[in-house]
Amino acid sequence: MSKKVIVACGGAVATSTVAANKIVELCKKNGIDMELCQCRISEIASNLPADLIVTTSKVKRDFGVPLITGMPFISGVGQAKTEAAILKVLRAE
Amino acid sequence: MIWEELNPSLIFTDVEAATSDDVMKFVGGAFTREGYTKDSYVDALIEREAEFPTGLDIDGVGVAIPHTAVTHVNKSGIAIAVLTNPVAFVQMGTDDEYTDVQIVFMLSVVDPNQHIDELQQIIAIIQDKGVLEQLLTAKTPSEIIDLIKEKENTL
Repeated sequence: MSKKVIVACGGAVATSTVAANKIVELCKKNGIDMELCQCRISEIASNLPADLIVTTSKVKRDFGVPLITGMPFISGVGQAKTEAAILKVLRAE
Repeated sequence: MIWEELNPSLIFTDVEAATSDDVMKFVGGAFTREGYTKDSYVDALIEREAEFPTGLDIDGVGVAIPHTAVTHVNKSGIAIAVLTNPVAFVQMGTDDEYTDVQIVFMLSVVDPNQHIDELQQIIAIIQDKGVLEQLLTAKTPSEIIDLIKEKENTL
């Protein structure tokens, strides 16, 4: 079944666009069927349910869905670790 | 390629600023003066930075990528400012951690989905500490454009 990933940032302008594209490529490379939803932080709740949320801003709220920070996709620092964490969530049944 | 689109009037070396707001007013003001953004851009930029900060610590070099909603933008562009003295910006993904920013890449984005390649190019440039260190020593806008051109030719 396809996995739904929400990628969110403040205004869905720059950082979430870059992070979303990298996650799409990551999934393609690893044969994971995923549905992407790119939105603003304030729109996360209305886009649930999802299998994973990735954000490039601080989110204090618990959406009951695994949440991974996508900052490494922007800074480049720790990107491999973040990719591994995303794959782990998406590969879980 | 980004370097082809860079406007020397939007590239600044040796910018003296005390606060991140000063940087926003100076660089954002240039964007508006050059017609890239609307009068509302600078205030919107400051507000958005307060809510969703954009400071990044690239292995010891502080970079910020301020930007704001497309409604304040007329056309897409990139402004670059090298700061004489580091200015504290809140780090992306936090609300209380600061990073000392030395280089600012300010973005005016009209339609993010049309500019994925450019956005990724910018991020690739920002992630290269070697390029950042060279940008810090650049004396003129044309030197900055040349450095970015060189980097893009390797991507």
